[in-house]
Formats: sequence, structure tokens, C-alpha cells
Amino acid sequence: MSAPLAVEAHDLERVYASGTATVAALAGVTLAVRSGEFVAVMGPSGSGKSTLLNVIAGLERPTGGTIRVGGEDLTKLDEQALARHRSKRVGMVFQAFNLLPRYRVVENVALPLAFAGTGRALRLAKARALLERLGMSARAEHRTNELSGGELQRAAIARALVSDPAILLADEPTGNLDSANGAALIALFKELHAQGQTVLLVTHDATIAAHAERTVRMRDGRMVD
Amino acid sequence: MRPSDLVAMSLGNYTRARLRSALTTAGVAIGTALVVLLIALATGAEDNVRRSIFSIGDLRLVSVQPFQPGASGLSAVPRTITDDTVSQFKRIAHVEGVFRQFDAPLGTVVEGGEDATIRPQGIEPGAPVDRGDLIAGRHLAAGDRAVAIVPGNIARLIAPSAGGAVGKRVTMRIGGAVKLGSTRIGGSGTPRDYAVTVVGVFDEQASQTSMRIPLEDALAAGAENRGLTPDALRQGTGYSGVAIEADDSQNVADIVKAVQELGFSSFSLKQVVEQIDQGFGVFRGILAGIGGVALLVAAIGIANTMVMSVLERTREIGIMKAVGAAPGDIRTLFLAEAAYVGVFGGVLGLALGVGGGQLIERIIRNLNPRANPAPIFVVGPDLALGALALALVVALVAGFLPARRAMRMSALTALRYE
Ligand SMILES: Nc1ncnc2c1ncn2[C@@H]1O[C@H](COP(=O)(O)OP(=O)(O)O)[C@@H](O)[C@H]1O
Ligand SMILES: [Mg+2]
Repeated sequence: MSAPLAVEAHDLERVYASGTATVAALAGVTLAVRSGEFVAVMGPSGSGKSTLLNVIAGLERPTGGTIRVGGEDLTKLDEQALARHRSKRVGMVFQAFNLLPRYRVVENVALPLAFAGTGRALRLAKARALLERLGMSARAEHRTNELSGGELQRAAIARALVSDPAILLADEPTGNLDSANGAALIALFKELHAQGQTVLLVTHDATIAAHAERTVRMRDGRMVD
Repeated sequence: MRPSDLVAMSLGNYTRARLRSALTTAGVAIGTALVVLLIALATGAEDNVRRSIFSIGDLRLVSVQPFQPGASGLSAVPRTITDDTVSQFKRIAHVEGVFRQFDAPLGTVVEGGEDATIRPQGIEPGAPVDRGDLIAGRHLAAGDRAVAIVPGNIARLIAPSAGGAVGKRVTMRIGGAVKLGSTRIGGSGTPRDYAVTVVGVFDEQASQTSMRIPLEDALAAGAENRGLTPDALRQGTGYSGVAIEADDSQNVADIVKAVQELGFSSFSLKQVVEQIDQGFGVFRGILAGIGGVALLVAAIGIANTMVMSVLERTREIGIMKAVGAAPGDIRTLFLAEAAYVGVFGGVLGLALGVGGGQLIERIIRNLNPRANPAPIFVVGPDLALGALALALVVALVAGFLPARRAMRMSALTALRYE
């Protein structure tokens, strides 16, 4: 008896209808990610990488196939339950950081816990601890506009991890960073993975994908190889 | 999401767009103030009218007139109130007392000269007219004969002070010509003089031209004036009126109906008050409607602000949803933001309405120091709470659609919004 797979996608489809034409962002993707794995998803622009990640994150509903995350069938969840899935089971890191500029860094990191119902003192303490672990203590009380790109992305990772998610999802997290900051960030992912964190990372950069345990490739909404 | 976080977060949103929130709140405040001011005005007017009515008399009273029901003015058809009628009135349910009254012919208190023209009203002891309005002396008592309770203005014609008249023996001349103001009235029958002792003086606000004497005396004088016996007068002419006292003002309508069924017209303040209440209900409704239009405009302002707020924070909504905000959290956040507009606008508007009312009142009093001292604007606790609740409800209703829009927004679409 094995533990449930972190991610289990079967013939996953996501079709967009734009007018008369339809675009299949996902045209039958099958993917399994074991708990504790560090997997990179590679592929050219438009191949469906973001869509796949968004489906796993519960931000997007598939139009076909099945998707299980931590054993839970996401297609069976209503909006409320999907919100809980995003809040508890997955942590998402975006290329565009997506931090709220009007809150301090520590408040941004603590935000997911606010929606999960954690009290203010406890969630700020957790956020500070996490920022410390990521070497961001000095920046905790700053506004986001006072941070560099690399720091913003570290803060975003801290926010993604604050709820202890089963899987960390990152969509081109180094896309807005220079190569030095990008390399530092990848080092952080490796470190997190070494501490047992499951990571699914989307990139079109082979040097970054090289740091993952395993790389899957996509093209036109399908897995290749 | 915890209520404390909800409050803090939405308050942050409310205070962030300071100017816009302030303007929207001002809109609600003005609308609320207008509603408060106008309803307070209507309430003040109604209170004022009610107070004057209550000062006229008791709501438990039904006064029966010697006319057929529906009688008014010239078309009135007389009907005689005899002792038989009186005993019928006494049998009506919820009747606590029946007091007969006979008005003797117009006359003069001789000691007061021509100015002391007076209508001697013959009443029974304890009659509603003879209650609680004494300046000096006492009310009519059982067994009294040849006594009078006179109004203050007449008493001061008899003695230097109203109180000084008590105990004085005066001559009451009944019938004959009298002078009322500048008019001379021909008068009825041969004038006759009666010696009466003033036992009480009542506040002339009740009446300046009538005095109270025992019923038997009035009947005797009236009979003599017409050359009849008092019994013939009772049977033929009948009493001038009867005051029926109900056990409770709730039962007045039933008594009025019973009196009508016996064939007599009646009058009760209670019914006047009911009509006034209805009239004021309409009046108040119209004024509230005018204020309501102002609130409606404010509501559109709130809706507009909220739509802007949702649009402006689209990305933020996307981020919140992406990190686990439930649809309900998002909706509640925006509704709470609208609620602040309602609460602050309501409180401000209430203060503005109350303060504005006091200011207007002070200005009116300064312009006309002799204006009726009763308050013009009356804000009771129900109006205050009602206004606050209304402002809140208006804000929530106005915020509902924008909040729902925020709730239903797709997280990914919102994240892509620039
Ligand atoms: N909301 C959408 N509506 C229509 N087409 C979309 C939408 N999102 C993605 N697509 C299309 O789906 C395909 C895959 O997109 P995406 O998953 O973003 O690719 P990648 O992340 O690999 O660049 C693209 O052709 C894109 O244009
Ligand atoms: Mg992409």
C-alpha cells in the first residue's frame, strides 16, 4: 500500500472556446508526481504548462480527464472546496510575484492563513519564522515596493509555503529575475526539496530544469517522449 | 476568515480610497439626515397637534349631542336626550360614567358688569368638564345648590385676584340682552337674578365664557326662563348633551357605534386622534419618501463606488482567491466595505439631522421668540435606530451586486487584469 501520489493526472483536457475556434491548452495530459519529488515541466511557450499548473492549483477546471491532488479528485469539488484546496494543499508561485503592494511583506506571507481562519498573532509568527528560514527576516516589515525582484520571489515562496502545502507549484518563477537571482532561487527550491518538499516547477529554461530530479516535456497540450 | 480579520481588512479598504469613501459616505449622510429631519418634522407636528388635543380633553370621553347621527351644521336634525336615553347610555358596554349637562340661557354675572357675559352650564358632580383645572377653591360637589365655579377672567372681574373671588356671593342674571365682545345679543325670556356663591375658579384656558353650576339649578333657571316646569323641560327640551366616559379609550369606537345605533350623534377626541394619526401617517410617508429619494441617490453613489472599488482591486481579488480566499470571503469583504459607508454615513447623517433640526429650531425661535414652545423636530429612539438601520440596509443593498461580481470573478482572469 503506497501513499497517494502528490499529483495524478489522467488524460487531462482543457479546451478554450474563442468564438468558433477552440484551443486545447491541454489535450490529454497524463502525469504522476510522487510525494517528495522535484519535477520540472518544460516546453515551448503556449504548450499548456501554465494551464496544467493552474488545474493542479485548483484555479482552473479541466474540461476532461481526471486530476487528483493528494488523493482528492478536484473535478468533484465546488468553488468553496476548491478555495480550501488552494488554501491548504497547494502553494503557488507566479512569475509576476503577485504580492499585495499595500501590505507589508510579513502580512503578505501571512495572508493565506488569514483566509484559513488562523488568528493574527499566530499567522504573523509563522510568517516571520518562514521568512527567517528563507533568509528574509530583514525584509519582513518592509513594503513590497522596497524589495528587489529576487526578494519579492522569496516572499512569494514564503507565502506559498506558509500553509505547509503538500505540493509547491511554481510557474516560471525565475522569469522576471536576472540570472544571478534566478540561480539563487533555484538553489532555494533544491534546498526545500532536500527538506522533503514536493515541488512542481514550470520553466522553458533547460539549465533551470536541469536542477530538478525529473523533467517532463510538453508540446501542444500533450506530454512528449 | 475570522470576523476580526474581516473587519480590519475591509476597514483598510474603506479608508484607503479616502476621498472616494468620504464622498460616498457624505452622500449617505445627507440622505439619512434628510430622512431624519423630515420625519422629525412630521413627528414634531403630530406631537404638537396631539398635545393640543390632549389638552382639550380626555380620550376616553364620548360627548353625545342632541342630534341625529351624521348631523352637521345646518342639516342637523334635533333629537331629545331624556332621562330614558341617559339610562340607555348607561347600559352600553364599557361605559363607566354618564354625565348629563344642561346649558341655561346666556346671562351675566352682575358684579362683573357687561364684560361678565356667561353661559351657565348645569353639570353633575364629577363631570369630565369639571376636573383638574382649578386655580382656586373646589370643584362641584354632590348636593351643591346655588353655587358656581367661574373662569379666572370672570373671577378677576369680581375680586382683585382670582382666589379672592372664592366665597363671594354674586348675582347671576339669566336671560335678557347680553354683550359679547362688541356684539349685543337679544337674549331670551325675561331676565331673572339668582344669588350664587363662587366656590371655585378654573383656568380660563378651558373657557372664558362659561361657568359651572349644579344641573338642578340650571334646569330650574331654564324652566323658569321658558315658563315650564323642570320636568317638562327634561322631557320636552331634553339635556344639552351628555358626556359618556369609557373604561378605556380602546372601547370608545364601540361606544360611539352604540350611541349612533340609539340614534344620537356623538363626538370623541379619540376618533379625531385616529383620523389625525392617519393623516399624519400619509404626511410622514410623503416626507420620508422625499428623504428616501435622497437615500436612493446615495445608494447609486455607493453602488458606483463599489463597482469602481471592485474594478480597481481586480488583481487583488485574483491574488486573494489564488491564495485560498473562499468566494464568500470576497463577497463579505466588499459587503463589509459597503457596510462601513452605511454605518458611518448613518451615524453622521443622524447627527447631522438632529443637529440641523436644532439649528433650524434655534433660528426660528430667534426670529419669532413667541413661537409655540413645543419642539418642531422630534427624534425619538425609534427614528434614530430606524435611520441607522435604513442607512445600513441601503448600503448593503447597493453593495450587493458589486460584491457578488467580485465573488464570481474568475481568479485567473482577475490575475491577468491590468
Ligand atoms: N483563458 C484562455 N482563453 C483562451 N485560450 C487560452 C486561455 N489560457 C490559455 N490559452 C491558450 O492555451 C494555450 C496554452 O497556454 P498556457 O498554458 O498559458 O501555455 P504556456 O504556459 O505553456 O505558455 C495557449 O495557446 C493559450 O493561448
Ligand atoms: Mg505560461
